[in-house]
Amino acid sequence: MTLYTAARHRAAETRPHVTTTVRVRPPKGNAGRRNRPVNVAAGIAASFWLVIVAVPLYYIALTSLRTSDSYLTDGALVPPGNLTLDNYRQVLDLGFDTFIVNSTIVTVITMVLVLAMALPAAYAIVFGGTRAVRATFNTFLLGLAIPAQAVIIPIYLLITRLHLYDSLTAIILPTAAFSLPMAIVVLTSTLRDIPRDLFDAMTVDGAGTVELFRRLVLPLSRPGLVSVGIFSGLNAWNGFIFPLVLTQSEARRVIPLGLWNFQSRFGTDVPGLLAAVVLSTVPVLALYLFGRRQLLRSLSAGYRR
Amino acid sequence: MTLQTPVFGGARRERPGFVWAAPAAIFFTIFGIVPIVVVLYLSFTKWNGLGAPEWTGITNWRALADDGDALHSIRITGQLTILCWLIQTPLSLLLGVWAAGPQRNRAVLSTLFFLPLLLSTAAIALTWLSLLDPNFGLAASLGSYVGVPDGNFLGSDDRALYAVAAVISWQFVPFHTLLYQAAARQIPVSMYEVAEMDGARTMRQFISITLPQLRNTIIASSVLVVVGSLTYFESILLLTNGGPGTATRVLPLHMYVKGFVGFDMGYASVLAVLLVAVGTTLSVLIVRSTGYHRMNSDREGMSG
Amino acid sequence: MHRRARLFHIGVSLLATMSLVLTGCGTTGPGGSRDKIQVWALQDPQNEPVINAGLDFFNQSAPVRAELVTYVNDAYKQKLHVSMGSPNAPDVFFNWGGGNLAEFVNANQVVDLSHALAARPEVRDAFLPSVLAVGRISNGQYGLPMNGIQPVVLFYHKGVFADAGLEPPKTWNDLLSLVDAFKSRKITPISLPGSQGWTELMYLEYLLDRIGGPDRFSAIAAQRDGAWRDEAVIRALRMCQELAERGAFGSNFASINYDNTGASKLFATGKAAMFLMGSWEYTSQLSNNPDFVERGDLGWTTFPTVDGGAGDPLNVVGNPANYFSISASSPHVRDATTLLIETLSSDAYVEDRVNSGQVPAVAGVERKLEGTPNAEFATFTYDMVAKAPSFTQSWDQALSPAVGTEMLTNLQKLFLSDITPEEFVEAMEKLS
Repeated sequence: MTLYTAARHRAAETRPHVTTTVRVRPPKGNAGRRNRPVNVAAGIAASFWLVIVAVPLYYIALTSLRTSDSYLTDGALVPPGNLTLDNYRQVLDLGFDTFIVNSTIVTVITMVLVLAMALPAAYAIVFGGTRAVRATFNTFLLGLAIPAQAVIIPIYLLITRLHLYDSLTAIILPTAAFSLPMAIVVLTSTLRDIPRDLFDAMTVDGAGTVELFRRLVLPLSRPGLVSVGIFSGLNAWNGFIFPLVLTQSEARRVIPLGLWNFQSRFGTDVPGLLAAVVLSTVPVLALYLFGRRQLLRSLSAGYRR
Repeated sequence: MTLQTPVFGGARRERPGFVWAAPAAIFFTIFGIVPIVVVLYLSFTKWNGLGAPEWTGITNWRALADDGDALHSIRITGQLTILCWLIQTPLSLLLGVWAAGPQRNRAVLSTLFFLPLLLSTAAIALTWLSLLDPNFGLAASLGSYVGVPDGNFLGSDDRALYAVAAVISWQFVPFHTLLYQAAARQIPVSMYEVAEMDGARTMRQFISITLPQLRNTIIASSVLVVVGSLTYFESILLLTNGGPGTATRVLPLHMYVKGFVGFDMGYASVLAVLLVAVGTTLSVLIVRSTGYHRMNSDREGMSG
Repeated sequence: MHRRARLFHIGVSLLATMSLVLTGCGTTGPGGSRDKIQVWALQDPQNEPVINAGLDFFNQSAPVRAELVTYVNDAYKQKLHVSMGSPNAPDVFFNWGGGNLAEFVNANQVVDLSHALAARPEVRDAFLPSVLAVGRISNGQYGLPMNGIQPVVLFYHKGVFADAGLEPPKTWNDLLSLVDAFKSRKITPISLPGSQGWTELMYLEYLLDRIGGPDRFSAIAAQRDGAWRDEAVIRALRMCQELAERGAFGSNFASINYDNTGASKLFATGKAAMFLMGSWEYTSQLSNNPDFVERGDLGWTTFPTVDGGAGDPLNVVGNPANYFSISASSPHVRDATTLLIETLSSDAYVEDRVNSGQVPAVAGVERKLEGTPNAEFATFTYDMVAKAPSFTQSWDQALSPAVGTEMLTNLQKLFLSDITPEEFVEAMEKLS
């Protein structure tokens, strides 16, 4: 008997039987974290990764504070003699606040749309199983492989037909649509790890599909929802090609388009561009730092064992 | 494709029907599937984006057979996909498991690790472009330590693809780490406790418990990595533009160059259709061969 | 349904609806301003004030106001392509003339300005003929020059040359011996941002012209059979490859990028001795590395001659200028035509251009150039172009986009010695 199956059997044997209706609430605190093994290999990977991540980030922060002479003459990682905030000033003068507002609207709505559509669909795929639902799953697998650039022209035609050209909606709709396949793949993975015994227990008690969704799936899919939310949100925040083709006026410009202002005909104002990058990352970073607790708690929402 | 009946008993139980998936399905059909059908149509035409497409039958498809660059692109894409998977999966897995652990500095470091995910592709590509500058970047100062004294990474036929794979991985490892972290935290501590009681060491626990429990996530993440590498090209466009020559010209970039720089939309559509076909086949293959489509849980057999 | 869930659902729908309203339902027209003349141009801090000044002057007395909308370089071509022929097309658009403009002309999307020009011969004659010619497509004048001339110039680092006791090259053989001399001094002879094909194109353009004269390329541009297979073309390609193999560009040129100023930096810091680049490099160095220019270390000269070559050594290659054209689907064709005819050769516009450091494609502008801050370089550039019997447009703009992109890719392979000149020529012949 392998160690794995032995562990499963042992765990099964030592558990008391639960026959009452299970009310599922994610555990509070660090209950799940005690006694997890410390993995040396993982630790090594983490240290290695720390260096790999820190250096480029340092470069970005440093360069955004350089003057353009310093950028030309000094080495890449050497701190310059005089730091300057001119690049940031220049970026703000460009109307960056409008860009941030637009990007925020696009991102929030896209995330909401994606989550609202993907979770029920994943629910149907994992717990349902009608032919139509299976076809849907396959369609989304197909959708994973569609590169946005391939369909940009038909989408442009569609958007103009719908009279949505040069609006934020024009950006939101295709961006949300293209985040759906990934969302479905991740959420089906999360949902199918929901323990059968909980499901069976609730079903035996006569819970219908809606109630099952509300009381079982919704709370337990939080880790997946968080991952999907983050990825689709970031996709929307940093998306470039849809805004490029589907919007035009400065009032509708989003941050990635604003970033490209630093590319003139004959070269890139690298310090300026990187200052804009830092500025555009700040809102998201602030959100992350602020919501970190929530994030961690959601990620650690396991099943109390 | 047949789907095995999920292991959920009870004939009395009602199962969620198509109506739950309908919004997603309809929405995606409008913005994803319909455009692809249009692209399929375009692949049989000659069109430069202006005026009306001109029907040319299978001319473009025949041209595909003649296009040495397309064949070459397919090979490069394959190499890049494999490289990306080899770099990203083990690294994300280890990092995810580490991040799910109890170390005290985990919180601060996790934040740091998360940052690449927040940056836009343009920012990342530009940063690495500067870092890899052969005369003034890190590549110049550190190149000799890795056997590249002239710092020539992105411009070298042999090394460019590795450099590109590294940058792409740098961008996406944080996301996959997040997936593995979430999944690793779901692994019931009880399993480790039992193994500990049996006297198993950390490495053994990792191989026998952690990995199998992460199976679903590994598959999901792998599908995303593989199909993502197939269709992703923004970084490559900015880093090397397919160069030097065509050393890093992956298929989506080939399609982009033909369609949006050369404005030969008809032929670019052929490549697009090819991409979608290959990508879908691969993801379906992975999903079926690993039994993912059977929607089973990794925690089967753990009765409560 | 549970009350809380219902509230949640209502909340979400409300939020969604509100946002849709807030984000606006959009339009089919360009920002709903079909009552304005939309002028699209490339984003360029040098150009924009000049264009805006011209538009302001026009707006003072015009029935329809004109406004400028700019886009970043890479995005611009695609944006333009996608919008032309759709309701969102601009009224006036910036382009590069040549094959680039021909694509739109062949789709009947551009207005022919020949009649308008014939009615105002003094405007037509104001422009330098070689530059105006690039806006001519199949006997119609479809574009008018709107900014400065940008020939390709051989820059060299005076300080580095002085230290080595060497002189800038006059002939190709001079260049070759300079390459050897600098290599022995561990200085990269020529800076080349080889990760971008268009920078390598400049060598090929000049060499073909020097060896065979401008007709060889005209044949290629006209898509004549066998035009690529010409002896002169193969010889020019071979010379390019030999230059690269000789180590003229260093070993890592394929990693160097122009857009992030990597190549300019290599040159300005004296690590490379020469730089073949468009005349805009002067302004770029001036803003990025003013010390280098103000010290007087930035030198310039013409491309060397080739012994026994049939081409006139005074010939020039580069970007003659950029052009403004009028889209045929515009509702304001008449007013837009007036805008272009009146503005582009007007004294005020020309003077603004000169003051911004450019050399307008207008005859007799030398006097205006004297006394400007960069008079020396500007005068040099102007003389170069005014005296040139022919000014060949950059091939990647002159040829159709499909052919141009293939050519650049193959050229990169050639410089890396991945293909032979014969293979290059065969590949191009197959395409055209």
